Amino acid sequence: MNGVMLGLMYALVALGFTLFFGVLDVVQFAHGDVLTAGAFVGLAAYAALLHAGVQAAVPQLIVVVLAATFSMAILGAVLGRVLVLPLKGAPALNTLLATLMGGTALRECIRLFYPGGSQPQRFPALLPTASWSMGRFNLRVDNLLMLLAGVVLVLGLSLLLRRTRLGLAIRAVAQDEETARTMGIDFRRVVLLTFAIGSALAAFAGVMNGLYYNEINFGSGLLLGVIGFSAAVLGGLGSFTGAVLGGFLFAGLQTLGAVVMPFASAYKDVFAFAVVILLMTWKPTGLIGEELGERV
Amino acid sequence: MRPAQAGARAALSAAAIAAVAALLLYGFLAAESEKTVGLVLAGAVVVVAGGLRSKVLPRLVRAAGERAVMSALAIAAVALIGVFHDDPFVLLLMARALLVLVACLGLHVQLADAGVPNFAGAAFFGVGGYTAAVLGHGATPHLLVLLASGAVAAAVGSLLLLPLLRTRGHYAALITIAFGLLFRTFLEVNETLGGPQGLKLGGLRLLGLSFNDDREIHGVEISGYAFYCLAAVALALVAVWLVRSVESSWIGVALDAVRLDETAAACFGISIGRWKIAAFTLGNAIIGVAGGLSAMMVGFIAPNNFTFQESLVLVSILLLGGLGNLAGLAVAALIVIWLPEKLQPIQEYRYLLFSVLVVLVLVLRPAGLIRRIARRPFGSLAA
Amino acid sequence: MSEPEALLVCQRLTRHFGGLVALAGLDLQVRRGELLGLIGPNGSGKTTFFNVLTGLFPPTQGEILFAGTSLARATPQATYRAGITRTFQRSRLCLELSIFDNLAIGAHQRLDHGLAFNLLRRRALREQADATATAARDLLEIFDPPLARRLFEPMLGVAMIDRRRVEICRALMSHPRLLLLDEPSAGMTTEETTRLMDDILEVRRRFGDLTIVLIEHEMSVIERVTDRCVVLNYGKKLCEGTFAEVSADAEVRRAYLGLT
Repeated sequence: MNGVMLGLMYALVALGFTLFFGVLDVVQFAHGDVLTAGAFVGLAAYAALLHAGVQAAVPQLIVVVLAATFSMAILGAVLGRVLVLPLKGAPALNTLLATLMGGTALRECIRLFYPGGSQPQRFPALLPTASWSMGRFNLRVDNLLMLLAGVVLVLGLSLLLRRTRLGLAIRAVAQDEETARTMGIDFRRVVLLTFAIGSALAAFAGVMNGLYYNEINFGSGLLLGVIGFSAAVLGGLGSFTGAVLGGFLFAGLQTLGAVVMPFASAYKDVFAFAVVILLMTWKPTGLIGEELGERV
Repeated sequence: MRPAQAGARAALSAAAIAAVAALLLYGFLAAESEKTVGLVLAGAVVVVAGGLRSKVLPRLVRAAGERAVMSALAIAAVALIGVFHDDPFVLLLMARALLVLVACLGLHVQLADAGVPNFAGAAFFGVGGYTAAVLGHGATPHLLVLLASGAVAAAVGSLLLLPLLRTRGHYAALITIAFGLLFRTFLEVNETLGGPQGLKLGGLRLLGLSFNDDREIHGVEISGYAFYCLAAVALALVAVWLVRSVESSWIGVALDAVRLDETAAACFGISIGRWKIAAFTLGNAIIGVAGGLSAMMVGFIAPNNFTFQESLVLVSILLLGGLGNLAGLAVAALIVIWLPEKLQPIQEYRYLLFSVLVVLVLVLRPAGLIRRIARRPFGSLAA
Repeated sequence: MSEPEALLVCQRLTRHFGGLVALAGLDLQVRRGELLGLIGPNGSGKTTFFNVLTGLFPPTQGEILFAGTSLARATPQATYRAGITRTFQRSRLCLELSIFDNLAIGAHQRLDHGLAFNLLRRRALREQADATATAARDLLEIFDPPLARRLFEPMLGVAMIDRRRVEICRALMSHPRLLLLDEPSAGMTTEETTRLMDDILEVRRRFGDLTIVLIEHEMSVIERVTDRCVVLNYGKKLCEGTFAEVSADAEVRRAYLGLT
């Protein structure tokens, strides 16, 4: 259950990376920090609700999720507009650096300006805490609900991409920007919407993260971002299925690492990253990656 | 112009540059109140901007030549050490800036020369430090320990060579980022290297002298840090000589070719792998030595100092100074290391400040990332 | 009369890019010392042939023999060392570097790249640099005399046409045995093209043992400077011979519908 939850979370983050890469050929390194920011916005919304006297868990949950996803959708679009689009023509390294630094700025803002931001913050348990016992397995309702929600999101995104006009536009831009433009697709609008969608997904993952661990930390976005990126790369940047698979693959590696080295479960990250590096050596553009060609 | 005349002119130009630099640096380091610091900063900006605008500064630099400027600046640095001989705080600050400068020089070879991005610079700095910690207590002469710090850092870096050669662009960046995270986690979990507490170091001993001890020479109190500072100046000189010599040689041409156009470079016999390996290894060695000396100076080493954040700071220094611009690199290192120390209010905000500055540089002056040709014609048939 | 020596022999050279067949069993020979024209409609595989020959893409099938040695599996570096250099259809110069640097890249194999030499034997390094600069100037004097005086200026400030000339000089710096020119006169006026071809012929005279394969679209150029031509179509050789023979060939005229 643990691994599946993590895999889903990573997959949600990886989907963001793969969407941004598909649409604009960029890696948005601030994505992990957007996830954290989303969680903190959710937390702030919760605090505001408490203050306003709202005690019931269901409206709390709804408001928290909505606040997180909407605010991050906007932030994502802003980042795309301000940071990524202006650097479109520049060498890829510039965008990488700009988004890395942007993420740092975001992270620092949380640490400095959120009350008590430098300390881990308790995240409320907004989901029912009941659990079913089935022999040796203990199924927690809240985890199940989150799992379901996550799966619905992933399926929803897939449907969006395959069945809606927006999805078609996104895929067209991902395939060939020039042609998409000449077909009348508003390139910038599509890009900004993609950023909004991806960031909203990350915000949801952030809330999930908070609900699951009952705490959030300003710095966790960095690791999650790198993991999400690794997952997306493993599956092949730009591939939807690849991102999902990559997310679960990374979670699997972590679980494997913890099992293989029970004496120090902290080594699981070392193990997972080491395997990622090895896999990338073997398959430089991901396991389901594209051929990197260059016109000579 | 006759050689003697040219020599005198070179010396005077270099002396002028060094004198102005020394004055500004002294003013900055000696300033007590934040207001004074601000004034000195403003003054420095005016002087440097004015010098660049009016072309006086570039002309002086050309007249002096690189060698002379470096020597003059080294003398100025030693003079400053002398002036602050019993102020451990300032000396420590100077030494830290110099060692960060050296580490950034290593990064410079990798990124600005060969185009190999390294987001684990702090990790290699840490490798050097840990090497010094492990070897420093034993019987190995400390000069060798410092060299070993560089060698071990280079060796650890070689683990990443194969993945780095096989990948491009953001994939290669991910490799070094993942490695940086991996390294820090590994250190924290691993008890043999002290775990989260880290290790203690005994301090540098060279030629029988312990650098940690304060000394009294002819009635003058000299802080132990002064000697570390001198060592840092020496290391910086060696590093600058090494990097500039490489850049103004056929090796530099090969690295540039690899960075700018791998396909064309390959078609003219340049081995992409060989030069990327060379640059990455050399860069890590330089970073490692700086890390070793730094650890010995500080007296202890812990995983906390070698986070991804710190690696980003190093890369930020490179970017803020203008990729490829060594003078800019030095100034950026000074600002990044000294400003938060001297202006306490911005200590807390330094990561935020630097990241925003870098983003501004990247978005507003992307041309600043294009390497301007730093190589002077290194033949005597200069046009 | 003795059989003209074949410097380069390509047999059944094939290259697939996914579903696209760029070279389809190309048989081609280049004789030592000749100036061979390579012509054909767009997409007939001319540049791909250069790319495969210089090791940028391995051939899917077939053999490449250069002076008796097989180069089919060779890296680009190995083909350079064997004595093959080239220019590119879209100019590939390092714009951030100086003219001298770009030319020095061309001379890579004649330069000492050892660490000790470059760091410690600075006087010898300067002498080698001087010799390289002299060689660079000699070549520039043929192709673009004004540039010879601007040797250490950045490539960025050099005009497009001059850049093409520099690229040719870069390919000549290592005294290659086989020079591959990919549409060197693209973007030039008739006058500039004539001058360029004169310069190429001049260099050929001076170097003695220089074989050239020239991809061109200007038929007048081909007619004037080439000893022989090979016409490619759909990745195969359609016809070969002198320009007169080739241009009279019915198949060729059909392939080039509208051109003659």
